[in-house]
Amino acid sequence: MKTEPDPLKPAAVVDESPNRSPDFSPHLPPRATYIHVPFCAHRCGYCNFTLVADREDLIPAYLHALETELQLLEQPRPVDTLYIGGGTPTWLDVDSLQQLLQIVLHWFPPRRQAEFTVEANPADVTPPRMALLTEAGVTRLSLGAQSFDPTKLRTLERDHTAGDIQRAVQLVRQHGQQIALDLIFAVPSETQSVWQDDLDRAVRSGASHLSTYGLTYEKGTPFWTRRYKGQLRAAAEEDELAMYLTAIDTLTAAGFEHYEISNFARPGCKSRHNEVYWTGGGYYAAGPGAARLVGNLRQSNHRSTTTYIRRLASGDSPVAEAERLSAEELARERLLFGLRRLEGIDEAQFPQQTGFQIDELAGPAVRHYVDQGLLARQDGRLRLTRQGLVVSDSIWPDLL
Amino acid sequence: MLDLKYIRNFSIVAHIDHGKSTLADRFLQLTGTVDQRELTEQMLDDMALERARGITIKARAVTMHYEHQGQMYELNLIDTPGHVDFHYEVSRSLACCEGALLLVDAFQGVEAQTVANAYAAMEHNLEILPVVNKIDLTHARTDEVCEEIEQSLGFDAADVLRCSAKSGAGVDQVLAAVIDRIPPPEGDLRERLQAMVFDSHYDEYRGAITYIRVINGSIRKGQKIKFLRTGSVHDVLELGHFRPRRQPSQQLQAGQVGYLICNIKELGHVHIGDTVSTVEDSALPLPGYEEPKRMVYCGLYPSDGENFEELREALQKLAINDPSFEFQPETSDALGFGFRCGFLGLLHMEIIQQRLEQESDVDLVQTAPNVTYEVDTQDGRRLTIHTPQDVPDAGEIEEFRQPVVRVSFVLPGDYIGPVMKLCEDRRGKYVRTEYLSPARAMVVYDLALAEVIYDLYDKLKSATKGFGTMDYELLGYFPADLVRLDILVGGNRVDALSIICDRADADRRGRAVVKKLRKEINRHMFEVALQAAIGSRVIARETISALRKNVTAKCYGGDISRKKKLWAKQREGKKRMKSVGSVDIPQKAFLAVLESGGEK
Ligand SMILES: Nc1nc2c(ncn2[C@@H]2O[C@H](COP(=O)(O)OP(=O)(O)OP(=O)(O)O)[C@@H](O)[C@H]2O)c(=O)[nH]1
Ligand code: SF4
Ligand SMILES: [Mg+2]
Repeated sequence: MKTEPDPLKPAAVVDESPNRSPDFSPHLPPRATYIHVPFCAHRCGYCNFTLVADREDLIPAYLHALETELQLLEQPRPVDTLYIGGGTPTWLDVDSLQQLLQIVLHWFPPRRQAEFTVEANPADVTPPRMALLTEAGVTRLSLGAQSFDPTKLRTLERDHTAGDIQRAVQLVRQHGQQIALDLIFAVPSETQSVWQDDLDRAVRSGASHLSTYGLTYEKGTPFWTRRYKGQLRAAAEEDELAMYLTAIDTLTAAGFEHYEISNFARPGCKSRHNEVYWTGGGYYAAGPGAARLVGNLRQSNHRSTTTYIRRLASGDSPVAEAERLSAEELARERLLFGLRRLEGIDEAQFPQQTGFQIDELAGPAVRHYVDQGLLARQDGRLRLTRQGLVVSDSIWPDLL
Repeated sequence: MLDLKYIRNFSIVAHIDHGKSTLADRFLQLTGTVDQRELTEQMLDDMALERARGITIKARAVTMHYEHQGQMYELNLIDTPGHVDFHYEVSRSLACCEGALLLVDAFQGVEAQTVANAYAAMEHNLEILPVVNKIDLTHARTDEVCEEIEQSLGFDAADVLRCSAKSGAGVDQVLAAVIDRIPPPEGDLRERLQAMVFDSHYDEYRGAITYIRVINGSIRKGQKIKFLRTGSVHDVLELGHFRPRRQPSQQLQAGQVGYLICNIKELGHVHIGDTVSTVEDSALPLPGYEEPKRMVYCGLYPSDGENFEELREALQKLAINDPSFEFQPETSDALGFGFRCGFLGLLHMEIIQQRLEQESDVDLVQTAPNVTYEVDTQDGRRLTIHTPQDVPDAGEIEEFRQPVVRVSFVLPGDYIGPVMKLCEDRRGKYVRTEYLSPARAMVVYDLALAEVIYDLYDKLKSATKGFGTMDYELLGYFPADLVRLDILVGGNRVDALSIICDRADADRRGRAVVKKLRKEINRHMFEVALQAAIGSRVIARETISALRKNVTAKCYGGDISRKKKLWAKQREGKKRMKSVGSVDIPQKAFLAVLESGGEK
């Protein structure tokens, strides 16, 4: 490590506002960890995640770099939630996957009752891999299903079939893990009935957690270019909105709780790991592009897998960006990201946790949006209304 | 005492980019005024904006010494800007000189400002030395250009000097001709002091630096002087020459050019065109200069109303160094408190705005530029209109007049047709065509100034593949069928978006403006109607539909800092918008009214 502050050492507790007494979780050592695995079979046309496709040759170097990065922790950090995402972690061959799990479990031993999630591509969920994951103590599989519709899967350039999803779900259930499915809507030429069908099949699949994402066109992806050239027609805003509302209605009617803008869970099945992000908790992270919040220091690793490997191999920091957050910034983050959760923010607890009153951070903006019916203040909580939910990105800038 | 015989005062004038400042470099070098080491390209263009744009904005004076045929001479050179907006600087400079070098690019030949500047020098009765510059260019047409100079301006082609300011070839002959052909100043050393103030600038520490040309008598350090116009009396703390930096000396005498520092901290005391004389028994004031003519006006408002005073200070500071720029407070319902500012032209406007942004921290909203109009009202008043907001209701107007300019286009003969079409489409009145040479013509039209400043220059360039140039001078105010076109956003008239235009263009302009606004204004949570209207008659309408969905699906650990950056940027953007009703209008939208509605 040359210049960057040491990313993984627990940061000293710095209280920058002596008059306040924040009881804010990032000041405690994190109990959550994210590990990024940047490998995929190929790159889907809409995807702008940090990953490399067709570079399995880099896997050993990556594992070595990851180990080097984690050695900076100096000592293992027991965690309550562990999340291995990507990319496609299950794209690793069985040996590499085993090595990965060994490294991760050494540095982040799960505490009792820990939640341990691994993201998987339905096509990769094979008995040997499942055996491995089960043995490692994985409690939850997050399957990148996206859809059950063959045309839609083809448009999305996914390499699995609806059959693969079913098989994967079966196998995971046999091994006893919880299942989370990701679904995408508003894909070019998708109709409301295709989407409704996807939702119904997802409900019937037995998954206990569903995430629904409207397709976005990110700069730099082939989809963005194709849309720009007029080769892809993005769904009309009205249709996208209708699909989003359909998801909310269908899934809540089926017994899921809509607990975050795009996340739904059966009772007791929320993603505890993701809740850490939205409630302002701290988290460790490792791997290319991974972002961590330790104490009041937020850092992101370099997004290029090769640069990440090279930096660690030559004894340099993998960190590309770092920012120290003041108590007020931490409080604002907590306000903004906390409001993504549908139950909203407990107005009485908020000052105890952050040292700031909501009104002192964003009083006029909050009142304005309450008047407009986009936010509601009720029973001691501040939360998004259904109307606010669908246009929430227009609200955040004013709360910042 | 220096004998007047050994002084020469001259300006370098030319069309833009014909090499004035580069020739000045060669003179500085040849006369040893500047050390070889210190010499930079276009050394006199030392303002950051001049260097960034590669053009001269402000005229600069330099004193040089040169030995010619065994005799030492003092040469006072003024390098002038070539752009039409700064013609005022040229005429001020000419008034301090006995001669002018008229530079013509050996490839481009005689251009619109060549003609304009030649005439200006003739009006001042100066000895004009035509010089073809850039003879080193591979495509130089030196002989042809000499012919053009003869045909269009009446100089004998055989007398035209030739040089390359780049290589230095012929520059010594030019300098010799300055001494041999330009007459020395006339003036009387024994007369009472009479000196012309031809420029000034403000130095934070030393106060006003006054640039003078001494006509009669002399002026000494420590002496008391009087500015005749204001009657204010000051001690001369320092005086001297520009070489090109200020170099103090003991005195300036008749025929010389230099500067005065009198610890003047009050701006009102120094007027360009004023006369400096002795306190007792003063000389007569010199004729002075015409007021600069502001051709365009626009509103400048602080994005954040809190910065009004800061903006005023920044404008004041600029006005000190640039008397051709003026400003007055004004208010707008949409934009709040700001200033109506007058400029010599669009380039001048752009430069002032850029300097404001660089030299102060105030974030600005600019309204679209407009020219000045005159209105006679039914009840016999005569109004001068600097902003569309001041146009009275149609029923109160007896006569509506706009400024008309005489425009001279210089272009290769092949493009006469397209240029005439441009002018006809803009309701121009044809005046005449002259041939400068068999292949080059000057076409003259009378056109509304409003048409000229908005886009005529760009249109000319594209109609002539870049070969056409133009110059214009104000003819006066003439009646026209003008209307005020109002823009309504969400049903509210936005005063800062009103424009004045010809009735025949109103529909087209109105449609173009609302269409452009539709692109500039973000969607809101409600529908926003955009209308263009004359009086109560709506002539164009667009609608911005309500925002129905705006929600980021994914937001996990890795997304947080990216999202925050995005939202912070959006918030900054929003802060700089102006709200009308509850519609946020971005700053750029206030320029939407420049949209002309496509080809015409
Ligand atoms: N080849 C060649 N280029 C020249 C010569 N003189 C000037 N230039 C180039 O012409 C361009 C314009 O030169 P300037 O000296 O800035 O012209 P200017 O007349 O002072 O321009 P303005 O002050 O903006 O009106 C520059 O790129 C010079 O390098 C010359 O004799 N030969
Ligand atoms: S599988 Fe997932 S991470 Fe990999 S390229 Fe496709 S969308 Fe991106
Ligand atoms: Mg110049």
